Amino acid sequence: MSILAFKDTNVLIQGITGTAARHHTKNMLAYGTRIVAGVRPGAGGQMVEGVPVFDSVAEACANKTVDASILFIPAAAVKEAALDAMYNGIKLLVIVTEHVPLQDAMIIMEHKRRTGTTIIGPNTPGMISPSENTMLGFVPSRYFQSGPIGLVSRSGTLTYEFVARLTSAGMGQSTCIGIGGDRIVGLRFREALRLFEADRQTEAIVMIGEIGGTMEEEAAELVAKGVVSKPVISYVAGHTAPEGTKVGHAGAIVTGSKGSMKSKLAAFEQAGVRFALQPSQVVELLKEAIG
Amino acid sequence: MRIYEYESKQLFRKAGIAVPRSIVVTNPAETVQAAEHLGCSVIIKPQTLIKARGKAGLIFFADSGVEAERAVENLYGRVHEGESIDTLLVEEKVIFDQELYLGITVDYASGRPVFIASARGGVDIEETAKEYPDTIIKVAVDPVSGITEIQANEIIEFVRSSYAGMGSTLQTGLREIVMTIYSIFTRYDCEMLEVNPLVVSNGEFVALDAALAIDGDALFRQADLVRPRGQNKQEFELEQDYSKRGWTFLKLDGDIGILSSGAGITMAIMDLMRASGGRPANFLDTAQMNRKGIYDALHIFKDDPNIKTLLINIFAGLNRCDELALGITDFYREYKLPFPVVVRMAGNREEQGREIMKKINIQTIAGLEEAVWQAIKVTEDRP
Repeated sequence: MSILAFKDTNVLIQGITGTAARHHTKNMLAYGTRIVAGVRPGAGGQMVEGVPVFDSVAEACANKTVDASILFIPAAAVKEAALDAMYNGIKLLVIVTEHVPLQDAMIIMEHKRRTGTTIIGPNTPGMISPSENTMLGFVPSRYFQSGPIGLVSRSGTLTYEFVARLTSAGMGQSTCIGIGGDRIVGLRFREALRLFEADRQTEAIVMIGEIGGTMEEEAAELVAKGVVSKPVISYVAGHTAPEGTKVGHAGAIVTGSKGSMKSKLAAFEQAGVRFALQPSQVVELLKEAIG
Repeated sequence: MRIYEYESKQLFRKAGIAVPRSIVVTNPAETVQAAEHLGCSVIIKPQTLIKARGKAGLIFFADSGVEAERAVENLYGRVHEGESIDTLLVEEKVIFDQELYLGITVDYASGRPVFIASARGGVDIEETAKEYPDTIIKVAVDPVSGITEIQANEIIEFVRSSYAGMGSTLQTGLREIVMTIYSIFTRYDCEMLEVNPLVVSNGEFVALDAALAIDGDALFRQADLVRPRGQNKQEFELEQDYSKRGWTFLKLDGDIGILSSGAGITMAIMDLMRASGGRPANFLDTAQMNRKGIYDALHIFKDDPNIKTLLINIFAGLNRCDELALGITDFYREYKLPFPVVVRMAGNREEQGREIMKKINIQTIAGLEEAVWQAIKVTEDRP
């Protein structure tokens, strides 16, 4: 098994007629993703890579069963497109778009809560379930291989770097998720960890974090509580980064000292999350954890 | 993107929040004139993006034009936290009897705005928050419905509980300010908004200071606020150009340039470099790389006198090594880089990429760690 996306997941592509969307649609289809429809207002009736295009999400959903949607939509229009998908009942969204305005992201996430939607991103290459031949997004699929490692990452480029190392060490993956590099993302580490914990294929979890934010601390808390019992191996990029320039007091009042490397490492240590200081240590730690 | 205090106050004034009378000045003669024109005791504040001016001794008081002249002697051109002081705000000195703090920020974990208020505002608000957390209220706001009357009342009740002198007129005034700054927060795509202090003067609230940080990703719809701040025209245009390309560029004080796409991998390279004694000269996060993109990005480094070595990281997952190698070749056909280049190359069509790089005498390395170490070694070997 895998998590979130499977071979029978019916996928919609919002903004399918754009150059990048066409290209990635082709790659996803070639990998095995079941893409059932595309949306582009004004382009209804066209075909892209053999996929029928509809004028609206509502129309696509009326004609096809849609389980997930991937948004190849410019940043300024992402909020409307995401709301459109959510209120048409689509329960899994992948928002690949970078530079989504903060206020829009907050509104998207509030509607996510109200509608019970799972959102991957924004600012993500998406996710891939190798054993299900399903990719939602645009990760370089040839580096991925089915196996027992669940991987969740805040960084796309680091995911590729790590997965190439895992695969060449003979460690395949159950599902790999780029949760997105933005300050506000939908699916967070803790939710991904819960899903991997419940997944039979997954034996160990690799969590690739970054400096800033509190997601790593939240995940460590789940491990500390025993909610996640599978081994978790973590790497956090930016541990030598100088502290960012402070903007006002308000941020510090809300987050306190959380988000710093010190805070993340302390949380990991307390929870028993194994931590790699260098990328090369991840494979070694995994070998120790699952033999 | 932070904006200046005087700009924030202009937005406040426009929205109906009382701010002190003030004049923006850019030279000593204007400063004197402004003090005389206001005709009262004035406070003179350098307009810098990084605040903490009070603690740095950069806030001045004057009772006349002559005193103002003396106060700003040697002030223009001084540097505060890397920012040259070239603009001052000359402001009516307000007599007040209570300092409040109001702020709105984003709780990134929940994805909601948080409204913060305290009856104990002023420069030590962070210490207050740490030592006396009970004197601060934090209210999470639903971003879809915005701040509600009930929440505003909750904030006012809280402030009143430690500010006994707040009568009904002031309560009404505070309610309006709470609602107004929340609408400023959303209307101007803020990631942070702060009024510290909000004071009571002659029975009315006045915002003595105002700080706004605008979300860089929303500048396409906040075009009125986009202009150079603390940069010359050239730096500003460069920043605009990078932002159009989707690049994030940050100059650092080291001597090894890094060209790599993706924030995560770039940070990992910097970590590896620092752990082995190397010093990164920059942070650069580019969007997806192609032949033209790598050619364009190389221009960032070509005239930088601080760079001793350039490390280019290519991990071609979706793109191709040979295509990116051709981008580097295109650049070399036109320019000569005055420093050695180390290229890490792995991924699609790696062998073909290597061959292309050999033709311009650049050696490639397959491993990430090895490439970082090689860049450090090359840098150390340079005279």
